[in-house]
Amino acid sequence: MIPEVDWVLRASASRLLAEVAPALGDAYLRSNVEVIAALMAAAAEEYDRAAHLRVEENRAMRAIFADAAPLLDEGTLRARLAAAAAETDESLRVSDLNAANGRLRALLIELHALVEERVEDWAARIRKAVGAELRASAQRRALSFYPI
Amino acid sequence: MADLGERFAAYLARQWREADEVRVAAFERIYGGASRETYRAAVQVRGPRGQSERRLILRRDPESSLIETDRANEYRAYVAFHGTRVPVPRPLVLETDPRWLDRPFFVMEEVVGAVSSAKLLAEPPYARHVERLGEAKWRILGEIAAADPAALGLTEHLEAPPLEGCWRRELEFWEGVIDEDELVPQPIARAVIRRLRRRPPPAPRRLSVVHGDYRTGNFLFDAEGEIRAILDWEMCHLGDPLEDLAWALDPIWSWPDRERPGKLIPRDRALASWSAASGIAIDARALEWWETFASLKGLAIWISSGREFAEGRNLDPILALASWFPTDVHERVLVERLAAEEDGDDS
Repeated sequence: MIPEVDWVLRASASRLLAEVAPALGDAYLRSNVEVIAALMAAAAEEYDRAAHLRVEENRAMRAIFADAAPLLDEGTLRARLAAAAAETDESLRVSDLNAANGRLRALLIELHALVEERVEDWAARIRKAVGAELRASAQRRALSFYPI
Repeated sequence: MADLGERFAAYLARQWREADEVRVAAFERIYGGASRETYRAAVQVRGPRGQSERRLILRRDPESSLIETDRANEYRAYVAFHGTRVPVPRPLVLETDPRWLDRPFFVMEEVVGAVSSAKLLAEPPYARHVERLGEAKWRILGEIAAADPAALGLTEHLEAPPLEGCWRRELEFWEGVIDEDELVPQPIARAVIRRLRRRPPPAPRRLSVVHGDYRTGNFLFDAEGEIRAILDWEMCHLGDPLEDLAWALDPIWSWPDRERPGKLIPRDRALASWSAASGIAIDARALEWWETFASLKGLAIWISSGREFAEGRNLDPILALASWFPTDVHERVLVERLAAEEDGDDS
């Protein structure tokens, strides 16, 4: 059986912290090794959840766009939101999910700026939905530890 | 490393012409300081009056940096504050000619017997001095705010923005950093920028020297509980003194503890200490604006460090760390602030 990648990273990070770093006489190198161990532990956490959180985030943004598009005046943003809302993530490669995520985040910024300028009830509802998704996104991506 | 030490000795020998011999006995790089490479050197000097040792700090421009900063302004800040109530290391020389050490650098005297690591505040012998260090930290920041930039000679070199334009200059600068360096669109940062622009703070009563990165970790303290030197003035500028206060209060410097900013004394005492030393009454609305801005500025710096690392210009792992964990914290802080203001709008 091959150990899972996150376990390999965590175990190796622990070894760096417990054995390698203390053995280094040079304080600069020791600090470098400690930082690399922290990065490995973060990578371990990201490994398991990377695809899941991106799919969830992309889905959440598309749901907001599907809700918002019909409410907007005719124009390019309405059409782009509707088109983005109709897409799905066919590939689960993180690089593909990231590319889609970037496009969706750019649209979310445009939509958020637009509804901030509008006073109608529907705009307030979309504004709240975007705010809730920004909070959810920050929580989704939060790391379980802070080594600094 | 040895080569750099020898070249440094050669440079010093040229500076100290009265010396018969200048030899670097110890030379090591200090970790951190992503905006400059920092080295500690023990230098043996033999001259007409015998032999002596000098302990020096060398700050050299990096090949690529977390933040682009002006070394001359940093050096001038040390010159300006040396010998005042704001403790700083004694600056010795600023060298812009890259032929000596490949890149520009400056040299200061080392403050011996002092440390800067925030982690040490939880350990003996420093832990018993946390209250004292806390009072001193906020008092010194108040004294920076109270200092007269013209009397210090800093208005000759630092731009003096109009009082009502302090916030705009800073916001536009850091927005520009995000524009230039973001690897992916930043909906949280953009929402915060729009919010800050819609509700600007009142102007300060007067311009102050703004350290730009005043926080636990950027001052040297000793085992007797004294703050011996304020370091890392690379983002020094003139502006609203609340900018410095807000940056020092940012939750990231004590994360996840929100009660004791910078892991020292409680927030209300920190504010009282700063206010007493600066002579400035704190406008709550203005401070709230600057605190939100501080977290945005932090986020901009982490975004910038991420690009440096991602594009391979600087593969120091501290840049990857800075782009990852602090981004996580500041995004959480900023969405909380947006939510609080949104709730305020509704009530």
